[in-house]
Amino acid sequence: MLKKIECFIQPFKLDEVKDALIESGVEGITVSDVRGFGKQRGFIKGEVPNKEVKFLPKVKLEIVVDEEIIDDVTKTIVRLAQTGEFGSGKIFILPVEDAIRIRTQESGINAIV
Amino acid sequence: MAQQNMWEMTLSRLDVIMSMLSLTEGMSKYLREPRKTIQVAIPVKMDNGKIEIFKGCRVQHNTNRGPAKGGIRYHQDVSLDEVKALAMLMTWKCAVVGIPFGGAKGGVIVDPYKISLSELEAITRRFIYEIIEDIGPEKDIPAPDVGTNAQVMAWIMDTYSMGKGYSVPGVVTGKPIALGGSQGREDATSRGAVYTLLSSLKVLSIDKMPLDAVVQGFGNVGSNCAKILFDIGHRIVAVSDVSGAIKNEKGINPYDVLSYMSKGNTLSSYPQAEQIDPKDLFGTRCDVLIPAALENQVTKDNAAQIKAKIVAEGANGPLTPEADVILNGNNVFIIPDILCNAGGVTVSYFEWVQGNLAYFWGKREVNLKLRDIMEKAFHDVYKCCIEKKVDMRTAASLIAVGRVAEAVTLRGIYP
Repeated sequence: MLKKIECFIQPFKLDEVKDALIESGVEGITVSDVRGFGKQRGFIKGEVPNKEVKFLPKVKLEIVVDEEIIDDVTKTIVRLAQTGEFGSGKIFILPVEDAIRIRTQESGINAIV
Repeated sequence: MAQQNMWEMTLSRLDVIMSMLSLTEGMSKYLREPRKTIQVAIPVKMDNGKIEIFKGCRVQHNTNRGPAKGGIRYHQDVSLDEVKALAMLMTWKCAVVGIPFGGAKGGVIVDPYKISLSELEAITRRFIYEIIEDIGPEKDIPAPDVGTNAQVMAWIMDTYSMGKGYSVPGVVTGKPIALGGSQGREDATSRGAVYTLLSSLKVLSIDKMPLDAVVQGFGNVGSNCAKILFDIGHRIVAVSDVSGAIKNEKGINPYDVLSYMSKGNTLSSYPQAEQIDPKDLFGTRCDVLIPAALENQVTKDNAAQIKAKIVAEGANGPLTPEADVILNGNNVFIIPDILCNAGGVTVSYFEWVQGNLAYFWGKREVNLKLRDIMEKAFHDVYKCCIEKKVDMRTAASLIAVGRVAEAVTLRGIYP
C-alpha cells in the first residue's frame, strides 16, 4: 500500500532531512515554500501572544512511499527536524489509492520505485 | 495412463520440495495424502427417458489454512488421480498468494458438449446433492473449471441453498454477477498474470517501453492478457489460438481481433496481421511470452527457439519439465503457474468474502486489492529465489509447501 507524507518543517532543517530521507529509501520529494501557523498562532518563544495570527515561513515536503518504510521515514524526519522549540513542524500520513508513472503507465509501487 | 502419470509426477515434484525443506517423514506423509476423497454415482434421467449413471468425485487435499477451494471439471477424461493432483496444486496455489484456503478439486466424467442443457443441470444438481454435507462456505467452495461456467455455478448455489433452506452465495465462486459474483472476476487471472509480469520487469531492471509480447491462446486468459498489456501501452506482436497464429511487428490490436472474431471469423484470417505457422509462434522476437493455452505446449523440441526474456505462465503447466530446464539454462525468467495465474483464485477469494459479508465492492477496489496480493506474492517468491539460489518455480513451491507445513505443525494432529 502506498502512503503519502505531507510534512511541514523549518526551512533551515531541509538539507539535513533531505539527505537522510534519500538514505532511508525515499525515491522522490517535492518541496514547496509555504507559510502557516499551528497551535501557537505564529508566535514564537519569548513573544507575548495577542489576538493576532501570524503566518511563519515553513517548507512543505510531499513524499510518496510504500507503507513498509513509512515508520523509518517518519522517525528520520522527527529526529532531524526537531528544533527543541515550538514550531518544529508536523507530519501527516495519508493513504494513496494509486500512482501512475506517465512515461511507462506503470502503476502502484512500480510507478514510484 | 497420462492422468496417473500426472499424480505421480505431482508427488515426485512434491518429494523434491519436501526434502529441500527438510520436512519430517511424518509431515511428508501428511502432505502427500488428500484429506478427503468423495466418489459418487450420479443417476440422471436423460431427455430420452433412459437412466444414465455418471461418475463424479470431489477431493479435498488440505484444509489446514482454511476451507478447501477449487474448481469442478466436466470432461470425458476426468480421472480420480488427475483430480487428486489438481486438488494438491490448489493447496499450493492458495498458499503461495497467502489467501486463507486449502485446496480441492472435483470432476464428473462427462462430455458437457454432448448432452443437453437440462441434462447438464440435472447432473450438476444431483452431484451437488450427493456431496452437500461436504461443501459449504466454511468447508469447501467449488468454482468453474474446464467444462463448467457461471451458469453451472448458479445451479450449484441454488441446489445447496435449497438443501439448507436459505440462500448461501458463499458456497461457490465464479457465479454470475446477478447472484453475487465479483466484479473483475472475468479478467482476474489475466490481470494477476500481468501484475506479476510488471513486477518481474522491475526486479530484472527491464525498462523498455513498449514491450513486445507474444500470447499463445486467445481464450479468456490469453485475450484478456493481450487487452490489459495493450491498454497500458505495450505491443502485442503475435497471438495464436486453435485456428492458427498471426503476427505483426508493428502491433496487433486485441480489441479489433476480438471484434473481428465475434463476426464469425477465425483468428488466423485476421487481415491486419501476417498469418504464420503456429510452430513458429514461440520463435517470434519478443520480450515477453505468455503461454495461455493448454498444458505441455513448450517442450524440449521448441523451448530453445524462445527469444523472450520473461515467460509468464498464464496457463497451468504450459512447460514440460525438459522445457523448463532448457529455458532456465538460457536465462529466461519464468513466472511459474501457481504464482502467475493465481489471480483467478484470488478474486474467487474476494467473491467469497463479499458473499459472506453481503457487501459488494466496485471493480476498481477489486483490482487494487488483487494487485496488492499479487505483488506481495511475487516479491515473497522472488526473495526466496534470490536467498535460496533456486529458480522461481522451486521458490514458489518452497514457499507454498512451507506455509502449509507450518499450518499443520501449529494446529497439531487431532486428537
